[in-house]
Formats: sequence, C-alpha cells, structure tokens
Amino acid sequence: MSRPAAPSAGRPAGHRRPRRGEFARALRRNLTAHGFLIGAVLCFSLFSWYPMVREFILAFQKNEDGETVWAGWSNISYIFNDPAFWDAWRNTFLFTGLALLLGFAVPFAVAIVLNEFRHGRAYLRILVYLPVMLPPVASVLLFKYFYDPGHGLFNRVLEAFGLPAQDWLQSSDTAMLSVVIAATWMNMGAATLIYLAALQGIPGELYEAAELDGAGLFRKIWHVTIPQTRLILSLMLLMQIIATMQVFVEPFLLTGGAGPENSTLTVVQLIYQYAFTFNNYGSAAALGVVLMLVLAVFSAVYVRLDRGSED
Amino acid sequence: MKQTGFRRTSAAFALSAVLALVAACGTSSSDEGGDEAADPADAAAPLDPETEVTLTIDCMPPAAEKAELKEWNEDVEAFNKKYPNVTIEGKQTDPCLEPPRFTAMLKAKSQPDAFYTYFTDLQQVLDNDGAADISAYVNDETVPALKDIDPQVLDVLREDGKLYGLPTSNYTMGLLINRKLFEQAGLDPDSPPTSWDEVRTAAKAISGLGDGVSGFGEYSAGNNGGWHFTAAMYGLGGDIVSDDTTKAAFNDETGLEYVENLHAMRWEDDSMGKTQLLKWGDLQKQMASGKLGMFLAAPDDITYMVQQLGGDYADYGMGPMPGGQATLFGGNDYLIKKGSSHDQIKAAIAWLNFKFLTPGTGQFDWARTKADGLPVGLPQPDFWTGESKRKDDELRAEHSTMPVENFRPFRENPVPGRAEPPKAQEIYKVLDTVMSGVLTNEDADPAELLDTAEDQVNQVLANQ
Amino acid sequence: MAESQRTLISPAALARPRGKVLYWTAFALVMLVFTLVFIGPLYWMVTSGLKTTQEFAQTPPTLVPGEVQPDNYSEAWNVLDLARLLLNTCVYAFGALAFQLVFDVAAAYSLSKLRPVLGKVILGAMLATLMIPATVLVVPQYLTVLDVPLVDRNLINSPWVIWLPSVTNAFNIFLLKRFFDSIPRELMDAAAMDGASPMRTLRSIVLPMSRPILGVVSIFAVVAVWKDFLWPMLTLPDPSKQTLNVGIYSLAASVPENQLIAALAIASIPTLVIFLVFQRNIMHGLTAGSLKG
Repeated sequence: MSRPAAPSAGRPAGHRRPRRGEFARALRRNLTAHGFLIGAVLCFSLFSWYPMVREFILAFQKNEDGETVWAGWSNISYIFNDPAFWDAWRNTFLFTGLALLLGFAVPFAVAIVLNEFRHGRAYLRILVYLPVMLPPVASVLLFKYFYDPGHGLFNRVLEAFGLPAQDWLQSSDTAMLSVVIAATWMNMGAATLIYLAALQGIPGELYEAAELDGAGLFRKIWHVTIPQTRLILSLMLLMQIIATMQVFVEPFLLTGGAGPENSTLTVVQLIYQYAFTFNNYGSAAALGVVLMLVLAVFSAVYVRLDRGSED
Repeated sequence: MKQTGFRRTSAAFALSAVLALVAACGTSSSDEGGDEAADPADAAAPLDPETEVTLTIDCMPPAAEKAELKEWNEDVEAFNKKYPNVTIEGKQTDPCLEPPRFTAMLKAKSQPDAFYTYFTDLQQVLDNDGAADISAYVNDETVPALKDIDPQVLDVLREDGKLYGLPTSNYTMGLLINRKLFEQAGLDPDSPPTSWDEVRTAAKAISGLGDGVSGFGEYSAGNNGGWHFTAAMYGLGGDIVSDDTTKAAFNDETGLEYVENLHAMRWEDDSMGKTQLLKWGDLQKQMASGKLGMFLAAPDDITYMVQQLGGDYADYGMGPMPGGQATLFGGNDYLIKKGSSHDQIKAAIAWLNFKFLTPGTGQFDWARTKADGLPVGLPQPDFWTGESKRKDDELRAEHSTMPVENFRPFRENPVPGRAEPPKAQEIYKVLDTVMSGVLTNEDADPAELLDTAEDQVNQVLANQ
Repeated sequence: MAESQRTLISPAALARPRGKVLYWTAFALVMLVFTLVFIGPLYWMVTSGLKTTQEFAQTPPTLVPGEVQPDNYSEAWNVLDLARLLLNTCVYAFGALAFQLVFDVAAAYSLSKLRPVLGKVILGAMLATLMIPATVLVVPQYLTVLDVPLVDRNLINSPWVIWLPSVTNAFNIFLLKRFFDSIPRELMDAAAMDGASPMRTLRSIVLPMSRPILGVVSIFAVVAVWKDFLWPMLTLPDPSKQTLNVGIYSLAASVPENQLIAALAIASIPTLVIFLVFQRNIMHGLTAGSLKG
C-alpha cells in the first residue's frame, strides 16, 4: 500500500507507433496532463509536502524576541530533558498496544459474528457504523458522562450486575484503557465493515473442505478465515498503528490531555502542549520529527514483512 | 484536436490559477498600522475631540449577555458624544480569551488595535512583538484616576520600565463557600474556614450530608491543578520557585502539609467526591447544582454561577485564602497593538479610561448595573486606592444587589496578593501531576510526588 | 455474494434443531446487545437533554425524564448560537467538497488516464502523506497558513484554511484513481479517435460512469470536515467563524450540563441524517476503496 497501486490498464504509449512530431505530441500530452494535476499538486505542495520539510527546519529554530534564529540542537535536548517525554512515549505505545488489542480484534470478531447471520444484517451494519458519523465532541463528551464514577452510567450497569464499580478515567491504572474503549466505540465501524466485505470474498468451498477434514469452528477460523483475509488484516494493522499514534481528541476531551499522573499524556498531546500552551514551536517540531521517524520505521518494517510473507 | 487540446490545456491552467486567486482572498499578513506614533512630543496630550479614527477592540459582550451588551453600546454612544469621529468597532469574543486562539492571534498579528489579555500574558505578547509602548501616552490628564490605581496592578503591565497596557479588572483568590450547604451541615456560613484544618473539618461535615454532595473540590487537569496548588502554597506562606527563580521551592514542610491534607480529605474522609481531573468550569457547575460545599476561587466565579449556571447570590459567600499569608492575584487588561497609529493609541486610551477606569462611569456605573439587573457588590474589580476607592466603595454599597455581608470575611481580612511564578504554565503542568496523583491514587505518597515534581520543575527552570 | 452465501458455519449444522435454537439465541442476544451499545448512548443523550438540572445531577440517574424540559433545546440553540455554527460548518464542508471534486478528480483523472511524466512519483508522494498522521504536521501546517508562501497571505479565520488543505486528501485521490483505472481503455481511445479533448472525455465519458465513486468521495469529504476538531480549533479562532465541534467545545464550560447535552444531540443530527440517507453508498464506498489492497 505504501507503493503506488499497480496500474490495471496497459501502458499508454506502449502500443502506439512512433510518428512524426512525436516529441511535440508527447510534450502537449504532458502539458495537458500536468495542467489537470496542478491544482492538487499545488495544494499538496503548500499544505503537505512543504510542512513536512518545514517540520525538520523548525526543529532547529527558535524564537528570540520576535526573531527566528537557529537553535542548533537545543530543541532536541529540550525534549529529551523534558520529564514528560518518556511518559508520553510509554503512554503512546501503551495506547497503541491497547488500541490494537481492542480496536483490531473487536471489529474482526464482530465481523465474523455478523457474517454468520441471515437476518437483520443491514440493521446491524448501520448500528456498528453509527458512532463513526457522530461529531467527535458529542461521542467523547457522552463517554465522559458515562465514565463518571459518581452518577455515571457505566458504574450503574456494573452495579446492576453485581460487579465492583471502577474508577475509569479517574485512576492512572484504568484511564488509558477507558480512553481506548471510547475510541474503539467511536471508530470500530469502518474496520468492521471492511472486514465484513473481506469475509464475504472467502469462497465457501474452503470451509467445506475444512469440514471434510473434520475441522471445528476455531480451526476453521484459524486455517481458513484468517489466512484468507491476511492481506486486508495486515494492511488494517498498519493503518491502525498510524491512526492510533495520532490520537488527539479522545484524551484531550476525556482527561484534559494529561490525565491522572500523566497517564494519558501521549506524544501528540505533548506536541500540542509545547506549541500551543508553552508557545515553543521549535520543540514541538522536534518532537514531531521524532514521531515521524518512529512511524517511518514502523512502515519500513511493515513493508519488509509484507514482502517477505508474499514470497 | 490540436487546437482544442491546447485550449483545454490552458483551461486547466486557468483552473489552477484559481488557486492563486484564492490566495489573494485571504487576509493580508502584513498589518496596515500606518503611521507609527512618530510624534512622541505630542503623545502626552489627550485625544483631540475632533480626531477621526477607527478603533477595533475585542471582548465586546456577546449577544447572549444582553445587559452587558446594552451597556457597551450605551457607553459607545456616550463616548461618541465627546469624540464624535471615533468609531469603536467592537468584536464579540466569548470567552474573551482562549490560549490557543490567543497564541494564533499573536503569531498572525491579527489582534485588534486594543486587545484583551490576562495579566500573565504580557511576556508572550512582547515575545511576539505585539504590543505598543504606551508610557508616553498615559498620564494624569489622559487617565485622571491613574494615581489611585493600585501600583502593584500597574506594575504587572510594565516591562523594563515601559507601560504596555491598562487594567480593566483584577482579583485575589479566596475560599468560596456554599452557604446553604454550610447551614444544612450545621456550620456557620458567616465564618468560613480560615485554615486547612478547618477546611477539612467543614468538608467532612458537608459531605456527610450524602446525596452526592462533596465538601471541598479541587482541580487536577489542564494546568488548573498546578495553578491552584500555587494559590494554596501562597496562602500557607510557601513558595513555588526560589527568589532567584532557579530552583523549585515547594518541596518543604508547607508543601507536604498541604498535599497530605488533600490526600486525607480525598481518601480518609472521602469529602472531595470521586470525580477528579476537573478543570475550570467543573467545580462551578457542581456548586451551582448544589453538590459542592467549598472551593478556591475568585469572586467573579459567583457571577458566573449565577448568570450562566442558574445559581443564586444568596447561596454563596467568601472567606479569605486558607492560611492567610498571601494570595494569588490576577486580572485582565487591554494592550494596544504595536504599529497602531498615534491617534489609535490615544483613542484606545480615551476609551479604556472612559469604560473601565473612571469611578461612576462605564463599568463603575453601579446605579446602571443595578438597573440592568446585573450584580453589584462583589469585591471585584478591586484596584482602587485613595479617593477613588472611597468613592467607588460608597457607590457599590449604595447600589448593592446582593447580601454583601456574605463577603465580609473576605473583604475584612485582606491578604496580600502575589503574582504567578515565572514559566507558570510549564510549572503548572508538572504540578498538575502532583494534584492528579494525590486525588486519583490512594497509594500515592505525597513526599514522593513532591520529590518528583521538584526534580521536574528544576529541570523546567534549567531547560532553556 | 448472494444472500445464501456459504460462511463459517455449515448450512447443515444450522438446519438441525439444535443449530436453529443456537442461531436464534445468538441472534437475539447480538441484536439486544448491539442495540443497547450503539443506540443506548443516543437515547441517553436525547433524554438527558430533556431533563432538569437537578434531575440530571441526581444519583441514581432516571431512565425516563420525570419532568420533560424541551426548553433546554431551544436554550442551547440560542446560547450556543448553533444556527451560526451549523451554517459555518456547512459552508466549510461543502466548499471543501467543491474543491476536492474539482482538483482531486482532475488529478486522479490525469494520473489514471493521461499518465504524465513523473505521474507515478507524484502519486507516490501523495500516497506517502497517508503514512504521516495529520496531527504530527499540525505545527508546520499551522505556521504555513499563518503566512502562505508564494502568495504571502494569512488564511487564519477564512474558509480557505479549511478548503485548500482539504484537497490534500490522498485517500480520495486513490479511490478515484482506482475507479478511473477500471474504465476500459478502449472507450477512451474511441473518444480520442473522435477528436475529443481530454477535458471532454472526462466530462462526457469518465464522469458519467463514475457517479458511484463520486458519491462516496463526496460523502467522505463532507464528513471529514464535519468531524475535524484540532485543525479548525487552531485555525478558526474567531467564535463567529467556528465549526460545530469547536464551538460547542469552547462554550461547554459556560452552559449547564443538560443544555450542553441538548446541544450535542442537535449537533449529531445532520451527520446521522446524511448517514441514514446515504448509508448504502457509504458502505459500498468504504469497502470498494480498501478491499483488494
């Protein structure tokens, strides 16, 4: 996926015979083609590519009395000396891990279950996707009310089942998990529907063959369902990692960003704090660079593994 | 095909040229300040009544605040009687200031000619080269009550001896109490607790009422926790950073005593409620709905609870900061955009003087405030001294709309104000973890929390 | 993929009496749990918005509002100025849609059918942006819109600050390009033979065939703007220009809880309606885009 999609049609120029004025034609064709591209390319240049480059530049600059000056490594040393730096990384990895556990496994399991039903499928699919369409402020604030240990809904429900009340966002032990639960509820719809579509592409004969071999339910899942959807699963895994690394709204609104004893302070929250609370853009950019590098490593590892498994 | 091909190509280019046009439609990033005050000799003179100038200014009351907006418009009209050619162009911002928006505004240099800030913002504004030096413009003639403004308040708006702004309000923090709950719990609402031991006892009694009521509430998120930790430390005579601002100074007997007291209230007495990680606005909501007995606050929190959250003045009272050694003070002011013209600066000062700095008019026209159904009698703003103070106190007492008795313990035990520490937000971020630690983790060790925070604040102070 | 498609559990097992009982038990349970989990919060939101302040703060909470107070909704509407926030959000969302339909469709068409020199590199560079989370770039992007290079403009508080960056939606370009790729080459060649220019081919052949994907892309474009939070919070600081999400967030502290929840309920309606009306297209697009990866 990180590579451009392979073109499905044949090469354009391949089956054309060279003619006179070929060069002029090619030039014109290219001018036209780039003419169509230029709007998007300009936008990408200004608002995507240039900011990427600028992030690296900013990381080595600072503001002194209204003037921008070179800062050398001072921004980098600032972030590595910030006591919150390691907290933020620990939390980000914890969040990513939990989000993968929940946000990856839950939609897949839900998709497998939904795929078995012969009734009410449209309804169930709509239900699962519903939260994706809510404005995030609405869903996050709803969860904030539900998590309230006093009159929140969740502890009422636990009580009704005779289970002990939880602290949810109020304890450093459970705060991150609570954020992940809310994020999963909000975002699982898309992944579920994608898995559902993938499951429908599995040929029924494979299950029949597995049954002839005497495979039970879980062996069928393990030996047929998962291998058959491996491609989409691995792609979604990468997408999930990238998506969870940039989570902002959920902790920002649920715990005010840092949470109990900094337990929900993520790298992105820290970037936000540096830039917009401390007014320190240089350090914010430096931390952004570090995060970009870490993500690049993830992507590279993914591509490597993906290639390896295809061979 | 050839021809159309080319025409289409150019059409596609034209399409993209839209982008360029688009860009032309944004606002220009260079400011149109025009003639910078080039004539300092004349700066000291008051605004010529004939001057024709337009002044943009933010923090005009929003439509939702009908009475305040009506007063603003009346004041503009009255001001225009004297200065008919000055156009006051108010911008409704609600809330008046939000840090990310404020930062963006400074970076973009898109602030109005006169812009609202907190006392603590001056350094940030100057770092962004955003405010004009108005020292030469402010004197007894342009601001007649100048000599009666509390010098401590004016000092906040000075940097290197230059004056950059004029105050519009100030506050000192105290202990806000819910009188109704005090009575229900058998406590005397006329003598609020003055020490943390008394706060603890009262909180225990109030939370004993049950029904989800907590005795005392405290912030622990969004840097608000650190802010209140600082306030509490000042109250106990403690300090946040050393005098030379190089070291943390809160990890001592006083700090430990305070944090241990919080721990005891939260976990031993269970008098602070289960919900923590609160930020500004949360405690006000709890108290307005009758579920909270006490919290540290400035007097205008009461207005907020009454006007926005449906509370009742008679239910609230205030006492001094527990400990009573010192109290955090803060406030709001207007600065004037750097690059504003000579006339704009003069007009801004004339307007600020009329609206905010003259006893008996503008915001100090208490007769009108009362007639408009707004509160009179809160001990805020409170920056007058001398003759102006006498006059203003008289007017306030005459038109008061609330039982001012309820604030007697606060007014009669004035506690010296103290400003926030340097690098306040970064230090508050660290102290937030002390607060959230002690309030959300029963096993948290106060001494350890303070040790860690001390290291981190030292790092913040050293980290440049 | 017909209804009777063979799945994990064999039809024979389902046909047995025990299988039937299990199936219907599981089905009923899932229906119940899913309805509670996904509709429950919405029910809570709508009803809490109707409660009085006291009833809302009450422990334990009530399931059905004792005293219905519909005024909360009109108060929320007025105090938060929701009409303005809704209008703003619509302007941003549909403007972004227009820009994406023009620039992204043109770009995808060019990359798919016109194949310029360096086209692959450009596509690669666009897709690479999918690998970098948007929030990581928020600082340099923010500084860029404060003073856009080349044209030297400050876009803060203007709708352009939402519209132009929305064009950099690599996922939508990818979706469009894949769809255009599936349009047979022969059709294009035939049109070219007839002397049709690329623009004309796009208009009269490609676009009419691409209605489904255009629908999907449009919905994604609108919903993305509707849901965005951090970017509009930073770049539209003027309260009179804010989006629904940000406006509600910044005023959350200054209204009583029941009114705040009423405001949330109102804010949820537009996207829910869009979803219920277009759910087929949305689900189709979602799976069409990312399937064969």
